[in-house]
Amino acid sequence: MPAFPYYGSASIEALNRQASALLDLFSSRGFGREEPAVLQPAEIFLNRYGEEIRRRTFTLTDPSGRDLALRPDLTIPICREAVLANRSFPARICYNGLVFRHQPGEPHRPTQFFQAGVELLGQDDRAAGDAEILTLAVEALRVCGVKDFSLRIGDLALFGALVDALALPPQWRSRLKRHFWRPGYVESLLYWLSHGDGTLKLPGTRAEIETLLDAQAEAPLAGRTREDIIARTLGRAAEAASLRLENRVAGAVTQLLDISGPAEEALGKVRALLKTVAIDLNSELAAMEARLAVLRGLGVDPAQIQFTAHFGRNMEYYTGFVFELWARDKEGPVQVAGGGRYDSMMEMLGAKKPVSAVGCAIRTERVLAARTAPQVMGGV
Amino acid sequence: MAALTLAIPSKGRLKEQCNDWFAGAGVVMEQTAGARGYRASFAGFDDVEVMLLSAGEIASSLFAGDIHLGVTGEDLLREETPELEGHLHLIKGLGFGFADVVVAVSRAWIDVATMADLDDVCAAYAQTHRRRLRVATKYAQLTRSFFAQQRISDYRIVPSAGATEGAPAAGTAEVIVDITTTGATLRDNGLKVLDDGVILKSQAQLAASLTAEWSAEARAACAKLLGKLDPAGPLYAALAAHLSA
Repeated sequence: MPAFPYYGSASIEALNRQASALLDLFSSRGFGREEPAVLQPAEIFLNRYGEEIRRRTFTLTDPSGRDLALRPDLTIPICREAVLANRSFPARICYNGLVFRHQPGEPHRPTQFFQAGVELLGQDDRAAGDAEILTLAVEALRVCGVKDFSLRIGDLALFGALVDALALPPQWRSRLKRHFWRPGYVESLLYWLSHGDGTLKLPGTRAEIETLLDAQAEAPLAGRTREDIIARTLGRAAEAASLRLENRVAGAVTQLLDISGPAEEALGKVRALLKTVAIDLNSELAAMEARLAVLRGLGVDPAQIQFTAHFGRNMEYYTGFVFELWARDKEGPVQVAGGGRYDSMMEMLGAKKPVSAVGCAIRTERVLAARTAPQVMGGV
Repeated sequence: MAALTLAIPSKGRLKEQCNDWFAGAGVVMEQTAGARGYRASFAGFDDVEVMLLSAGEIASSLFAGDIHLGVTGEDLLREETPELEGHLHLIKGLGFGFADVVVAVSRAWIDVATMADLDDVCAAYAQTHRRRLRVATKYAQLTRSFFAQQRISDYRIVPSAGATEGAPAAGTAEVIVDITTTGATLRDNGLKVLDDGVILKSQAQLAASLTAEWSAEARAACAKLLGKLDPAGPLYAALAAHLSA
């Protein structure tokens, strides 16, 4: 697709037909269509989410000086509306519309494209929620006439549970989880943890810390409280004293992150590896098995399902199960759908209590291209 | 119209140091009469037109290809285009106008010494306040690429037009990215530079635009000028390697 696509009447018709089929499917499963404004207050994308999203968001200033953004996805505005409108849960919402993405360094990629998708908010039975969305994603491709596709799956919760099982201070656990989605970063943190000497020159007692802070009484607290600074300093001192991760354990975690392959086989490797370090992630692994069972039930060829342990999607908001569906267009493999669980989003957008959330978006133009491309056998 | 255009800073200490540097290399600037002080020439270099512009304009004019050569701060050049390749060629650091672009936080943040600490605080801040920690700066591009390289994403940039160092005390931002020479201004405002928070060690640079029109005459004039400025160095050869044929 060109950077600035032009839709001729034939492609509009084909896209519309495909969109109707998708929306009919979603509606038959109880998802009601909604449509947020194309132009959004920039704040919801920039303040709640980080620079990574900002980097890919077109922003502009209106004549009164207000910062606006062209929606880079529909998930965030839909979730925000659900919070503002105080929706009752579970809520099932579907959409089909244009999104806009700045593609820094990749001028050949389109700056706008259509996405059709579903959001399932406040479904407390997470396994059921994951299964419902995964099923819909597979059915959506089939409704569009794409028969040959493969899946990539992963689970950020699996890594989170693994980190929680390690004998590490909380600060380090949260650091590892936070950086899970960055290639290579977790590995380097683990290396540092198992090889560093752990010494940190920080005062250890509250009185010492208070004295240090009093000496900086002229300096601004800059958005933090005195108590916050004291608590973190105390935490760092305690952490420095205890910071050590067995080589063996760090090595196992690194190996685990490398596991990737046909799902059944890869999960077997994960189990075997965890056994060697006596870490029990049975409930997370069972959740993954359950998703595989859902796919088997849908008749998806197990050989076409790839589990990748470090797969976290390169968006910042996913918190659990993640998946991508891949097909082929005339140039090769292309990601046609993606989704997963983002349980922290509703709170980030102002919900008073946690609201579970799982969803999926379909790149409809790519689906169309995949459907009309000559199909070859074999996976991606 | 002269074959080659070169811009130098139109005011302040940078202008004086720049004139001294050219004079030291035997290139003497002559103010053009009637041009209100914004046009000049070098004695003996009839093919070179010298323009006096603000340091910021020089960076953007080089990027736009409106001038061939310019002297300005490396900080401004890199902010204009983080990826220099294909846009700009740094010909020579001139040994003046030294300044560091740094990440600075309040000295009251005694628990924050490194970018890794800042990352923790950013994440905790986003969680408790439900909004991102704000970084005030006029170097949005440099900040974005440095923070990305340091794997920090839980922040947002607030553009600052001036007096950035006052932002944490004024409550308009929690952290700043700013330029510093001695660190005195930061200290006066109760701020400190993070141990690994130096984004760029900047100095005045003689830079060439790779997107300008490089006619044969412009190339010849440039080769002659660079040969005079640094007879021992292969300055023009290094630049020519980046110019398209």
